[in-house]
Amino acid sequence: MKRIITILTVLTLLLSLTTGCWNRRELNELAITLAMGLDLTKDGKYLVTAQVVNPSEIAGDKGGGGGDSPVVIYQEKGETVFEAIRKMTKESPRKIYPSHLRMLIIGESLAKKGIGKPLDLLSRDWELRSDFYVAVSKGVRAEEVLKVPTSLEKTPANKMFDNLEVSAEAWSATSAVMLDELITDMVSPGKQPVLTGITADIKGDKRTTLSKQNVELIDTPAKIYFNQLAVFKKDKLIGWLNENQSKTYNIITNKEVSTVVNIPCPDGGKAVYQVTKSDSKVKGKIRNGRPEIDINIQVEGNVGEVECKVDLSKQETIDMLEKSYEKEKKEILVKSVKQIQEKYKVDIFGFGDAIHRTDPKAWSKLKKDWDKNFEDLKVNIQLNGEIRRVGTIGNSFLNDIK
Amino acid sequence: MINEKINVHQFLVLVTLFTIGTTILVVPSGLAAAAKQDAWIVSIVGTGIGFIVIGIYHALVRSYPEMTIIQMNEKLFGKWIGKIVSLIFISLPFIYTSILMIYNGSFLTSHIMPDTPLPVLTMLMMVIVAMGVRLGIETIARSGEIFLVFFFILFAFLVIFVSPNIEFENIQPVFESKINTIFGASINLVVTSTINSVILLMIFPLVTRYKDAIKSFYIGNFIGGAVIIVITLLSILVLGADSTARQAYPSFILARRINVGNFVQRTEGVIAVMWFITIYFKMVLYFFASVLGVSQIFNLKHYRPLTLPMALIVGALSILMFEDVVKQQNFDVKASILYSITVGLFIPLLLLLVHAIRKRKNENKDDPQLIQKRE
Repeated sequence: MKRIITILTVLTLLLSLTTGCWNRRELNELAITLAMGLDLTKDGKYLVTAQVVNPSEIAGDKGGGGGDSPVVIYQEKGETVFEAIRKMTKESPRKIYPSHLRMLIIGESLAKKGIGKPLDLLSRDWELRSDFYVAVSKGVRAEEVLKVPTSLEKTPANKMFDNLEVSAEAWSATSAVMLDELITDMVSPGKQPVLTGITADIKGDKRTTLSKQNVELIDTPAKIYFNQLAVFKKDKLIGWLNENQSKTYNIITNKEVSTVVNIPCPDGGKAVYQVTKSDSKVKGKIRNGRPEIDINIQVEGNVGEVECKVDLSKQETIDMLEKSYEKEKKEILVKSVKQIQEKYKVDIFGFGDAIHRTDPKAWSKLKKDWDKNFEDLKVNIQLNGEIRRVGTIGNSFLNDIK
Repeated sequence: MINEKINVHQFLVLVTLFTIGTTILVVPSGLAAAAKQDAWIVSIVGTGIGFIVIGIYHALVRSYPEMTIIQMNEKLFGKWIGKIVSLIFISLPFIYTSILMIYNGSFLTSHIMPDTPLPVLTMLMMVIVAMGVRLGIETIARSGEIFLVFFFILFAFLVIFVSPNIEFENIQPVFESKINTIFGASINLVVTSTINSVILLMIFPLVTRYKDAIKSFYIGNFIGGAVIIVITLLSILVLGADSTARQAYPSFILARRINVGNFVQRTEGVIAVMWFITIYFKMVLYFFASVLGVSQIFNLKHYRPLTLPMALIVGALSILMFEDVVKQQNFDVKASILYSITVGLFIPLLLLLVHAIRKRKNENKDDPQLIQKRE
């Protein structure tokens, strides 16, 4: 009897320990933040913008939601990022919950001053996972980007996230960079970070275009789009790459998945080479006491479009198109690398890391003054393009239009 | 004194769990900080050195297979000196139980349950540790057999799903670090996973066949070492040396990287479960060794009455020992290594030395020819 009572007491006591997480927070107590913007105010403080989901608007039942905006913006200034985020509870009924963060947008002016300091919180705080993308707002403030309503994807943060992934895959002039990679690049002496730029284009009256009316129009007056790549030296923004340079960056760092390239035909007109596979190998070497980089790029693709008169049934034509793709592309690559070396003088390609990998001894000498060495680094590019298929039709019907 | 017995296979399980112990979560970071992308080489070297250390223990148990290290102390050093050495020895598992409790608490509070008060987490863990020890080594060993299977299933899960994220460039250039750095860094690993396993000499006499048991000591150390090598290698290959060194718990971050088709993702709970399994068994073994040790020093009939009071001390100690996490890290890096080497390496070597001297003396006495010569 005594034994049974003891066991019962112990079990009852155990019950009190099994009530679940100590600090559980239910969905209706969380302000799920999907995107966050960091700007610099005029008096040198951080302006933190959090784009918080309104769960009842996102929830499935169609026509149910009372027509509120799917996301809400909370903004606060603070001398540190953490201070600003906590201050938001002055305005927000729920505590900011950043675990599901998808996009971090950094204002251009802040990026120019250095992004290292504000990023510490984001890598230190336990609630953040490091699987969100980082982008720099170009020409506009980060808060403006976050205020634009979007269609197709109801939550702007998801729109940006998917947008970046799709465009990095299909056009390869943007670069999807996550926090870990950014930090690794910032501290590495052999590679400097690059982030995608994002821009908001707002036409007309801000009060109406930044409201839900924006998504009611077919040609939305306010748009956000990714544009160009931002070049950093350590943690400071020093310039922007144009489209050709951006693509060059993606090819050399092996980020290119697919893109299309226009190539000239011999008798005028253009054909389009659709890249389906791109693989680059970067090797660092020391030749005659000077560092050199050999880049070997293997590209596979199809003929995507023909706007000129060529006979695709002949092997020579295919060879000719391959040659002219190689020539065209190589020219762009060589030119872009040269421009980056001369204009920005920072190693965004990771050439330093390549030398480090092959010749650690030489690297330990070169690394102190790597930016200078990078400037007059000799870069040899080998490009080999293969055409595999020509699409669903053979010769273009253009040949028969007389 | 105690008539519990475990078989050789169960001993193997315990050695394996003990070797993996805390290393799985904490060690890749320290190794990467010291040897950068060569951290995985360090873990191989460390496991190799571990075998030499176990060789010393082997020599010791070959001579006294029926004795715990406490009993050896008394036999070799005499009653009083033996008891003093034993107290020093037993302080190690006792303090390390608290240290592991701190590890556990700081991992939970910094990554999973930041608002839960530390005493609550400590209490919960201490209750199950004390329970395990009270139920005896047989129960511990059997549950170890079950949980080791769980552990390896989860481990396979982690390895398979994280492997698509591997980038081989991360470990190049191989062998950049100097030999000194590699050996220096490996000491840390040898201490946490092998030298500390000196406390297993407390349960060694409880194993049925000691000759095979020593074999399991080597094999267990090898399996545990292999897990550590794989985890370190994966951390470096996926996160890169730099991020691995910066993170406090790299393997936890490693699990966060898993993303298979946007479906299998955010599985860091897996590594947390693995960590709970191994740290629990390491803690239970430490605690068992200290409780059993104290009971043998004071010639108690049974160790059980000591369990609860000592558990209370361990729990309180773990909260009071360090004011902040930085002090604890300093202890880990500086003091604990020397402490472990003193207790885990120096005492066994001293025992061996005394044993050798005594043996020779006895031989001299017994040998009639020598007696004649002396005359």
